[in-house]
Amino acid sequence: MGLITEKTPLPKIQPVKFLLNWGRRYSLWVMNFGLACCAIELIATSTSKHDFIRLGVIPFAHGPRQADLLVVAGTLTDKMAPALKRVYDQIPDPKYVISFGSCSNCGGPYWDSYSVTKGVDQVVPVDVYVPGCPPRPQALLGGIVKLQEKIKDEDIQEKWASGHSAVS
Amino acid sequence: MATALSPDETESRLRSHFGRDVVASEEQHGHPVATVTAERYHDVCRFLRDEPELSFDYCDFVSAVDFGPERGFEVVTHLYSNAHHHNVRIKVALPHDQPVCPTISDLYATADWHERETLEMFGIRFEGHPNPVKLLLSEPFEGQPLRKDFALMSREAKPWPGAVEGEDLEDEE
Repeated sequence: MGLITEKTPLPKIQPVKFLLNWGRRYSLWVMNFGLACCAIELIATSTSKHDFIRLGVIPFAHGPRQADLLVVAGTLTDKMAPALKRVYDQIPDPKYVISFGSCSNCGGPYWDSYSVTKGVDQVVPVDVYVPGCPPRPQALLGGIVKLQEKIKDEDIQEKWASGHSAVS
Repeated sequence: MATALSPDETESRLRSHFGRDVVASEEQHGHPVATVTAERYHDVCRFLRDEPELSFDYCDFVSAVDFGPERGFEVVTHLYSNAHHHNVRIKVALPHDQPVCPTISDLYATADWHERETLEMFGIRFEGHPNPVKLLLSEPFEGQPLRKDFALMSREAKPWPGAVEGEDLEDEE
C-alpha cells in the first residue's frame, strides 16, 4: 500500500481506485474472534457447504497481524473486552469488523447481565452488524457481501484521513 | 464390597456423631441434605471424608443461596463418594450481614476455587482460605452480583419484562 500517501493522488484516479478496492474486497483474511455459540456458525460458514472463500474471505488468519477482517462472534464480557481491543489494535489498516450475532451487537439475551458488554461497538468500531441468535451461515454471507459493497465505494485516503480509530 | 448408603443411613450416622449440631435434615432427589452449624461444618466434612463407610472423597461443588435479609445465606456443599457412589449435601445457614463460613479447602482442593467464586458472587467470607481473591470477575468489579439486592444497571433503565418467580404466589396469599 506504498502507493497511498498524501502526496500521491493515485487512488483518486477512478480506474486505480476501482482496481484497488476490487483487490481488497475479494481478499479478506478473516480473524476468528469466536467467543460463544456464534463461533460455530462462523466456522460452519468457512467450511465446504457454505464456503465463504468463494466470496474471497480467507479462513483463518494465523494472527491479527495477517488479518484484514475481524469477525466478533459471540458474547463479549467486560473481562474479555481489553483482549478484543488488543487484537483489533494489532490488525494493520485497512481493517474491517463484523459484529456477528445478538450478543456482540447489543448484549442479546444477556441485556441485563452484570458481566456482559452490551455491544462490541463500545470497544471497537463496527462496519457490519449481523443479527440473529445465532445467525445462520447465510446471514454471515449476506453480511460479507454488504461489507464488500462498502469497500467497493471506499476512498481509502479518506478512510485514513478521517482518523478512523477505535472508540476507547 | 463397597455399597452405597441410603439417605437415611447417611443421615443417622451424621446425627449419631454430631447430635444437635445437625440442625435439620431432609431428602431431596434421593440425596440426603443436612443443615449443620457453621462451627462444626469443617468437622462434618472431615467425618464424611474419612469415615470408611461414607468416604466422600470428591467435592462436587460449593455454592450459596441468598434468601434475603431475614433468612440470610445458605452455603451448599455437595459431596460424592467414588467408592460407594452416593451423594450428600451439607448446608450451613449464615446471617445476611457479615456472613462467615469455615473453609474446607484444606480437605478438598476443589473447594478452593468454588469458595473463591462464592466469595466474589455472594460476599461470603471463608475463614482460613489460603487465597481469598476474586476468581472470575474482573479486578475493578464492585459488588456481589449474585446477591438478590445487587442492582443491575440495565434493569434500572428497563424493568424485567417477563414474569417474576414467586410473584404469583404472593398474589394468592
